[in-house]
Amino acid sequence: MAPTPALPRKGGGRTLAIGIRLILIAAGLGVAAFLYAFPLYWLIATSLKGKPELYQSITLVPRHPTLQPYYSVLFDRGFWVLLKNSVMVCAATVLVTLAVGLVITYPITRLSVSPRLRVGVLNWALSLRFLPPVAVVVPYFAIVRTLQIYNQPIALIGIYSLFNLPFAIWMLKGFLAEIPIELEEAALVDGANRWTSFRRVLLPLAAPGLMAAATIVFTFAWSEFLFALILTATPNSQTFPVGVQGLVTQFEIIWNDMAASGVIAMSVPLVLMVIARNYIVAGLTFGVIREK
Amino acid sequence: MVADLPVPTGIQPVRTGRRQRSGQERLAYTILVPALGTVFIIVTIPFVIAIWQSVTTDDGTFIGLRNYSRALGNPLFFDALRATGLYALIVLPTEILLGLGFALFVHRAVKRAGLRATLYVAAVLPLVVPPVAVGVVARLIYAPGYGVLNYVLQTVGITHSEIQWLGVSALAMGAVASVDIWQWTPFVYLVLFAGLQTVPKESIEAAQVDGATWWTQFRYIELHYLRPLFLLILFFRMADVLRVFDHVYILTGGGPGTATQLLSLYIYRIEFRFFDGGQAAALAVMVLVSISILYSLVTRALPLERA
Repeated sequence: MAPTPALPRKGGGRTLAIGIRLILIAAGLGVAAFLYAFPLYWLIATSLKGKPELYQSITLVPRHPTLQPYYSVLFDRGFWVLLKNSVMVCAATVLVTLAVGLVITYPITRLSVSPRLRVGVLNWALSLRFLPPVAVVVPYFAIVRTLQIYNQPIALIGIYSLFNLPFAIWMLKGFLAEIPIELEEAALVDGANRWTSFRRVLLPLAAPGLMAAATIVFTFAWSEFLFALILTATPNSQTFPVGVQGLVTQFEIIWNDMAASGVIAMSVPLVLMVIARNYIVAGLTFGVIREK
Repeated sequence: MVADLPVPTGIQPVRTGRRQRSGQERLAYTILVPALGTVFIIVTIPFVIAIWQSVTTDDGTFIGLRNYSRALGNPLFFDALRATGLYALIVLPTEILLGLGFALFVHRAVKRAGLRATLYVAAVLPLVVPPVAVGVVARLIYAPGYGVLNYVLQTVGITHSEIQWLGVSALAMGAVASVDIWQWTPFVYLVLFAGLQTVPKESIEAAQVDGATWWTQFRYIELHYLRPLFLLILFFRMADVLRVFDHVYILTGGGPGTATQLLSLYIYRIEFRFFDGGQAAALAVMVLVSISILYSLVTRALPLERA
């Protein structure tokens, strides 16, 4: 802001105007902070209420905080099985996505290929990002039933890997391109073959990037709901979000259990986010925005 | 493919260089072709199946474009298009304006690195919350009976009777949109804030020396750097609006009536509630074709690094 020369006579009016502006800004920020934080607070507050408290009038702060709803969701309702399914499906998705991602990004970043091929691969990966899942739900449903993998985790793993591949390709491309090619060449000159230099030189250097990509793919897979809803039917293979949805739509008034399931569903990505926070935006924007 | 021809010794060095490169290239293709081929087939098969499903009956009889004319003749389809358009019209401008406002404010007013880092984490947080969980939060706020919004409004004295947030079309659409705005405004903020960091300090300082106001500084300098990012945001958010499903499914299920039945929920309903696979496939094909056209039109203008 340009420095303003002090004008004694107008001083009072100016401070008043600045004061009003400050108050307005503070009020706006206060409202924004409230709207941002209150929903999360309310979710957690509700998840800590015991059953009796639900039938009284609404209380903004739980009177007798209890972890009972969490116990009820995980064990009485058996949601820990869904949690286990989710972890299993997401971990497998991460492995498949990163493996395929590396197989595709290694040649286009570390070997000399024609630039057209490289750009073609990247653009194609980008276009997959814009494929609305609901448009392929119908054919995938048919395929999954034909292959007789309906209600089996493998169906979800395959589809999640496919839908996360574009992110993985763009992120890995960014990370691999940053590693100086001379390091690998030095290993090759010293007599290592390509596989050894990939495994012993490139992979360790790319490890932080791989971790970031793994975290983000895990988070996305964890949140997925539509395919899980359609392709699973029993707790054998249902993921956690499907369980949450069931709590909401079937027993809509058990608010504390519902809230507890919501807290559990969001806690896993939040913890992971702390690890990979600097890469989330890069992942979401395909590397356009980089946090350094 | 490389043929091993005998070569004069004079150009040996060049030749080895080239052979090494073509060897690399061969390795690249040996790795790429099977991987890309497999992924390509897995991606393409569903399209083929969707097209096939859309022109046949369940027992495989060819019925031409009948499914398409049924899909287009269904008034609910146009309700879904209208709802999706309305949703985008509410959500996109709000998120962009709010996100821009916050980005400019923090960029100008917050100088402490620690506070900026805290705001960064706070903004990333909603982005990773599963939409299903956000839907649960929204139910706890808007639902009749236990919804806290009515409680707050009644306590403050703004209203005395319960407002049916999810029972009136306009309010339900607002409720569903508010969830999107809560979750995705931070994304816009993060992208634009990062963009503001790329504006050279010198040009800002020069402008300030020339007496540029808050507004002229934004209008004539910063906006220039943000323009490609606006395009990027629009692009990603539009793609997201077309795939919005989870939180709407949880919060309203598309109701009341068809007020919040977005395109994605509509297709889901045709397939899994009315079990009309043919019509759903026709819809899917139409969506895919429109997305492809939209994509090829917009993608060239995107500021993505491509090399």
